[in-house]
Amino acid sequence: MEGPGELWRRLLFLLGRGRFNREMEVEMRFHLESRAERNRAEGMDGDEANYAARRRFGNAPLLEEKSREAWGWSALDHLAQDVKFAVRSLGRNPFFVVVVVLTLAFGIGVNTAIFSAVNVLLLNPYPFPQPERILSVDARHISGKNSNTGYRDFLDWQQQNSVFDAMAISPETGGYTLTGQGEPQRMTGGATTADFLRVLGVQPVVGRFFTADEDKPGAAPVAVLTYATWRQRFNGDAAVVGRTMTLNGQAFTVIGVLPRGFAYPGIETCAFFTALGESSSNSRNQHQYGVVARLKAGVTVEQAQSDMNTIAQRLEREFPATNTGWGVKVQPTGAALAAETGRLVWVLFAAVGFVLLLACVNVSGLLLARASGRTKEIAIRSSLGAGRGRIVRQMLTETVLLSLSGGGVGILLAVWLMKVLRAAAPQELALDATLHLNSAVLAFTVAVSLLTGIAAGLAPAWSASGAEPNSILKEDGNSWSRARSRNRLMAWLVAGEVALSVILMAGAGLLVKSFALALDVDTGLRVEHVLTFALNLPGAKYSSDSGVSTFYRDLLERLKNSPGVEAAAGVMTLPMTGGVTGGAFQVEGRAKAPDWVDTLVQYNASTPGYFGTMGIPILRGRDFNEQDNEAGLPVAIVNDALARQYFPNEDPIRHRYRDDPAYGGQWRTIVGVAANIQHQQPTKPPMPGVYLPHAQWPANSMWITVRGRGDAAQLAETARTAVRGLDGDLPLLKIRTMREVVGDSLAESRLAASLLSGFAVFALLLAAIGIYGIVDYSVRQRRREMGIRMALGATYGDVVALVVRKGALPAVAGVVVGVPLALAGAGVIRAMLYGTSPRDLTVFLGVPALLLVVALGASYLPARRAAKVDSMAALRCE
Amino acid sequence: MLILRSLDRLGPMHGYGIAVHIQQMSESVLQVEEGSLYPALQRMLIKGWVKAEWGQTENNRRARYYKLTPAGRKQLTEEVSEFTRVMEAITRVIEPA
Repeated sequence: MEGPGELWRRLLFLLGRGRFNREMEVEMRFHLESRAERNRAEGMDGDEANYAARRRFGNAPLLEEKSREAWGWSALDHLAQDVKFAVRSLGRNPFFVVVVVLTLAFGIGVNTAIFSAVNVLLLNPYPFPQPERILSVDARHISGKNSNTGYRDFLDWQQQNSVFDAMAISPETGGYTLTGQGEPQRMTGGATTADFLRVLGVQPVVGRFFTADEDKPGAAPVAVLTYATWRQRFNGDAAVVGRTMTLNGQAFTVIGVLPRGFAYPGIETCAFFTALGESSSNSRNQHQYGVVARLKAGVTVEQAQSDMNTIAQRLEREFPATNTGWGVKVQPTGAALAAETGRLVWVLFAAVGFVLLLACVNVSGLLLARASGRTKEIAIRSSLGAGRGRIVRQMLTETVLLSLSGGGVGILLAVWLMKVLRAAAPQELALDATLHLNSAVLAFTVAVSLLTGIAAGLAPAWSASGAEPNSILKEDGNSWSRARSRNRLMAWLVAGEVALSVILMAGAGLLVKSFALALDVDTGLRVEHVLTFALNLPGAKYSSDSGVSTFYRDLLERLKNSPGVEAAAGVMTLPMTGGVTGGAFQVEGRAKAPDWVDTLVQYNASTPGYFGTMGIPILRGRDFNEQDNEAGLPVAIVNDALARQYFPNEDPIRHRYRDDPAYGGQWRTIVGVAANIQHQQPTKPPMPGVYLPHAQWPANSMWITVRGRGDAAQLAETARTAVRGLDGDLPLLKIRTMREVVGDSLAESRLAASLLSGFAVFALLLAAIGIYGIVDYSVRQRRREMGIRMALGATYGDVVALVVRKGALPAVAGVVVGVPLALAGAGVIRAMLYGTSPRDLTVFLGVPALLLVVALGASYLPARRAAKVDSMAALRCE
Repeated sequence: MLILRSLDRLGPMHGYGIAVHIQQMSESVLQVEEGSLYPALQRMLIKGWVKAEWGQTENNRRARYYKLTPAGRKQLTEEVSEFTRVMEAITRVIEPA
């Protein structure tokens, strides 16, 4: 009888319930009356006959219900009843409902938001078919120093491997200026190789992707648009194929459009894709590309790794000069990404887990206190025949109703938090396109809400339902032993809450402290009053080195002469912006290092006056000057770290070294030593580096730094005017003050620190409410006792001390348990800390102290009230 | 089994009739709460062993008559043979050898 037929029957029964009940009643009444008649016939009088019939029949309503239950779905019946009852019962207590719903909304909301990040970053990193087959294939030097691949090696890998369906170079993003369509516009494009879409497993929705022939140097330039660019720039016109776009002064023919939702970490800002057009005569030594590939069906990552190992060994034998020591590492791209952000996301996920647990515990406490006011109601229900299970179910229905409402409100909070995350997260994570409320996230919210309701409600419901109805109804109040056991449960809850708060607050404290230290770190720069922006001179218009040099010299001259400007200079790589150019460094007269990567130093280029503008001291020698140009002697300035590493016991000035062959292999004379600055993040140690004069190593794109007298942000207009005076088509990019640049480089730690401190404040608040709740509750329970004590001569202080102990003891217990757990947790976030020990004394003394103060404060308020009780009134009222 | 047997012997009957019949047949040895017939009858309805129809009694009252179905008859045979088997076993155990 099971199966769809059964379901159908039950459904029909549910609809015909009224009729069933009527029929049942008629049938039973007929039975009773017939029996009574017979009794009368046997000589009983009327009432006695009825009574005997009834006794013989048994409990009619119960039997009727049992008959109904035989048909099934009383559970649904009960549920509807429970919900109706819960709504009514909660409606009488709106304040309680608001507090509980808001607490749960916060807990569920932050969990939903962080889960959406977990879902995107760790569970579903790519919107592509079989994303787990997309692997990154990286060159790996035995020293572990580099993971990029040379183009020639890439070509050999592509031709010789037998494990991948397709292999391509990850798009190299670059800035392009779009002209010829109104105002010049800045766009980001990605240069890649022909098989890129095959690696990802997607097809263009219009037209096609480019072919290998179009990816050769000198081929006619073509572009494939993203869906968004197609809609915005070409109004989604299906006839877009064949039209041209002028990018950096060069005409690109549009050949296709990518599908909607095409997002991939690192390229989500790309508006279009073009062919890389790399020459195959490129040196194997130029390790500059990332490679992605799609695994063939049935091939494992390990098999792919071993095939690539064979190829790498073959290349090592064939090209010992360039490939010695170079291997290949094949790994899932999701894992590569997860390794970078995974720890942060997991830490946040754990933190919000604690927040939710805390919210649960707090709500449990509130429910427990509320249940104490309902003991009589529950006793009456149980004496009317409700079983313990039935009462627990009723109370759980209430909490689940509360937690579902909390989940509903929480989703609103989550949507807002996702917006914050999208804005704050590093761009490479591509959260813009993917971090949204979707069915997986909603399912998570509903599941968490249900679980939360059950978890928070179970203990109070069980404790409340165990009442012995007789004693409660008789005693006209709470039985002492029951109140005691409930008090004990509440004390446990408070201790748990404090322990959780210690963990959260200690973690937040450590992160906030390291963030503050990182912000304060001496970057070696004077960041005040400095504005920075980037320029990228289009190659078509500025094709010669001398043209580029002249433009920048003229621009800087204009800027220096503008009102309010103290100094202006240009630099190829701005500190704290991430990108660093590396290259080999060989000192004259010394043996060449066996491998160029062992002499890797940072290369940068600057105009005269850069060090002064940024406040970087020249320790020895001199800055560049106008004579250090194409015609002048090749010179360089090294930083202190390089001086100490390569010239430990001598003055580097007047020594000569040779540039990396990839940069021309020029011999240069060192003319100065500059102080170290933090080039990547304030928290990373300085690397050895050299600066070349920009005029001797020109590049079309450059950062301009301008030092003014007042607010740096106000220099922006001055800068715009100066640039426009030279080239009206040239957009100013990434205009920021240097202070913002430093701050942005710490975006990830700031995000972690601010989120965790938000959670910590919430934890503290919950702990305070929880402690206040339990102490206040116990005070109300013991009004009479307090009255007696005062009547017998206890002082105000005695009573306060007695009550405060009630809240302070569980708090102390919570701290004792929480501190070791927090210490263990701190070990996990060790890697995220900077300049702060995971056993930091200030944090681990300060957090417990703060919590204890809050616990005392939260207990003192009800204690004061207890001590003010008029003893006579308290005694009389009961 | 008793309900099924009663219906088998006497044909369609209402609940009260079944109760009276069981009581008479067992010569009042089996005294059960008469009301517990009804949940049992409902369960048999669901299993399809009996069918129910509203009808008139001799003194013109409305009552629900239960009737054995072929499935019910089969069930009865099975139950009786099973019961007999168990009874015989018990008898063999408790009878003096």
